[in-house]
Amino acid sequence: MPKDCRSNPGLVPDAGWRKTVFFTSLLIAGASSGNIRKMSLFVQFLLDAILLGGLYALMTVGLALGLGVTRIINFAHGEFIMFGAYATFFGAGALAIDPIIALPFVAVLVAVGGAGVFKLVARRALAAPRINQILLMFGISLILQNLAVLMFTGDARSVITSYSMGATDIADVWLPHGRIVAFAMAVVLVIGLVVWLKRSELGKATLAVAQNEKAATLMGINVNAVYLLAFGINAGLAGATGVAVSFLLTITPFMGFQMLVKAFAIVILGGLGSIWGACIGAFVLAFAETAVAYYVPNGIGWAEGVAFLVLLAVLIIRPRGILGQQVETD
Amino acid sequence: MSASQLKCTAFLVFAVVLVPLPFYSTPVITDWCLRLGTLMMLSISWNLAANAGLVSLGHSAFWGLGTYAAMLSANSLGFGFVVSLIPAIAIGMGVGALLAVITGRLRGFFFAISTLALSEGLRVIAVMTPEVTGGGEGLYIDQANRPDSQTIASAAIFCSFVLLAISWVMFRSRYHYAFRAMRSNEAASQMFGINPAAFRIAVLMISGGMASLAGGLNVWFGGFVDPAIAFDLHITILAQVGPILGGIYTLLGPVIGAVAAIGISELTRIWFGVSGLSLLVYGAILCLCILYLPNGIWGAITRLRKKPAGPPARMAEGRP
Repeated sequence: MPKDCRSNPGLVPDAGWRKTVFFTSLLIAGASSGNIRKMSLFVQFLLDAILLGGLYALMTVGLALGLGVTRIINFAHGEFIMFGAYATFFGAGALAIDPIIALPFVAVLVAVGGAGVFKLVARRALAAPRINQILLMFGISLILQNLAVLMFTGDARSVITSYSMGATDIADVWLPHGRIVAFAMAVVLVIGLVVWLKRSELGKATLAVAQNEKAATLMGINVNAVYLLAFGINAGLAGATGVAVSFLLTITPFMGFQMLVKAFAIVILGGLGSIWGACIGAFVLAFAETAVAYYVPNGIGWAEGVAFLVLLAVLIIRPRGILGQQVETD
Repeated sequence: MSASQLKCTAFLVFAVVLVPLPFYSTPVITDWCLRLGTLMMLSISWNLAANAGLVSLGHSAFWGLGTYAAMLSANSLGFGFVVSLIPAIAIGMGVGALLAVITGRLRGFFFAISTLALSEGLRVIAVMTPEVTGGGEGLYIDQANRPDSQTIASAAIFCSFVLLAISWVMFRSRYHYAFRAMRSNEAASQMFGINPAAFRIAVLMISGGMASLAGGLNVWFGGFVDPAIAFDLHITILAQVGPILGGIYTLLGPVIGAVAAIGISELTRIWFGVSGLSLLVYGAILCLCILYLPNGIWGAITRLRKKPAGPPARMAEGRP
């Protein structure tokens, strides 16, 4: 297995964050002898799964928060991710801003955009029947996606940074720099969100609305402002996810949808509206996907389907998810 | 003539005029006929499921299954056009029943996401089993058995009238009230002696079979399929746009909506000269109809015709 090919995986444009996984599975074929090899392969598997899980957690906590507070299922979540990635791309291209520096700006930009969408349209769905909510949000996502097609064309783009292609070899375990940067972003933002929810006045108010909106109103919390805030944070975290994936994946107007379905699978796996559940679900899915990619023949392709299998399994075995409170039947 | 006789006559007149239309027209109109027929079938199918409270975001799953069933039975078993539609319907009904069993009593968001996942999961399976489906490269249908496009378009219109008749029968039967009760509250409907599990299986079998039939017809017209085309999100969107635009939970709504949706997509194509606009327009239709026209075109017409005695009927299923 020639190592230089793994250290420069950015040459494969659409391999995405499974780049490392792909090249490591080539390694399985090449190195079938020796326990040290197997050991380092296992360490590599753990590392890849954890790095992927961090990204999935970032991708999902915002959705879980928005869902828990507003009870609106945000089908536009994937589109917010996509807009975040495009903002990073144009920032990196036109203004030569590194994605790490662009992160707060893009997150705020997308959060404001998301709050605008909420103010204009989604707010009206708050009290609407469930079917209207689903179709309305679905319509918004369609509009945003196709606006992106019109504005940015369907061409695939990618952000190239000094760290997006590099990797360090430590005792036969490869540390891909780009994914470590993305993981660090995810850890900072997810911990930041949790601390904000637990410590700050507004965060506590948000949690209160998520628990019981009527009681929160009686306590003098401006519920409508909290809805707006939660939806904005949802969009902002989606935008941040867009920044984190912008230098790992190819950016197209359609990138959001695939991530949306996965994010939904994680939300249901973790339990509807639970942030901790979303984090756990993210790592469960990441480990399951990476395991399939590593240890199943043709696993890279099949890994794409793991989310749906996990989702079906959850629906059959435990529809309320790992930490969920209530499941929607009647 | 009584009102129902009048409706019956109108139905037959429309059928007699429209079914042979592709044979006496230009290729463009033949193309419209096929699109209209398949869209009507999809809309009727989606509306039936929604009528029982099941919001599907995965009608492309049934469509794609029908596509592959028709294509594979024609290519490897040598089935002709009409015969190949039987496995297409069968697989749609089978998977519909399976979906009903798996989702159990889940509804709303959970059901919607399950259907979305079903469609995406099937797409992954289709990509990953190239021995059967041709994988990402796709498959061409065996030209030997393929009828001319007028026949297929005419068959699509014919089938859409058959499905309309089926849904008419269902809307007139007492089961219609059972579905409406399920839509409002499944647990309460149980107390009236309705078995929601059995009804759910039945309604998803019928709905799934209808959407699969549309997919099977369409593949004979196009002659080619790959996983991205078969399980395209576009199909799911089209299936919703018809009923929402025309009037959800009504018999004629999906038909009116299908005609209007085709009209709107053709007009935007002609006016703006960009074909990629139709999805944007469909998204806008979904949003505007939900916000300002929740009972669709048909709802607006009936409201104009007779002023309602009470407050306008709200759609069932309030916020939990």
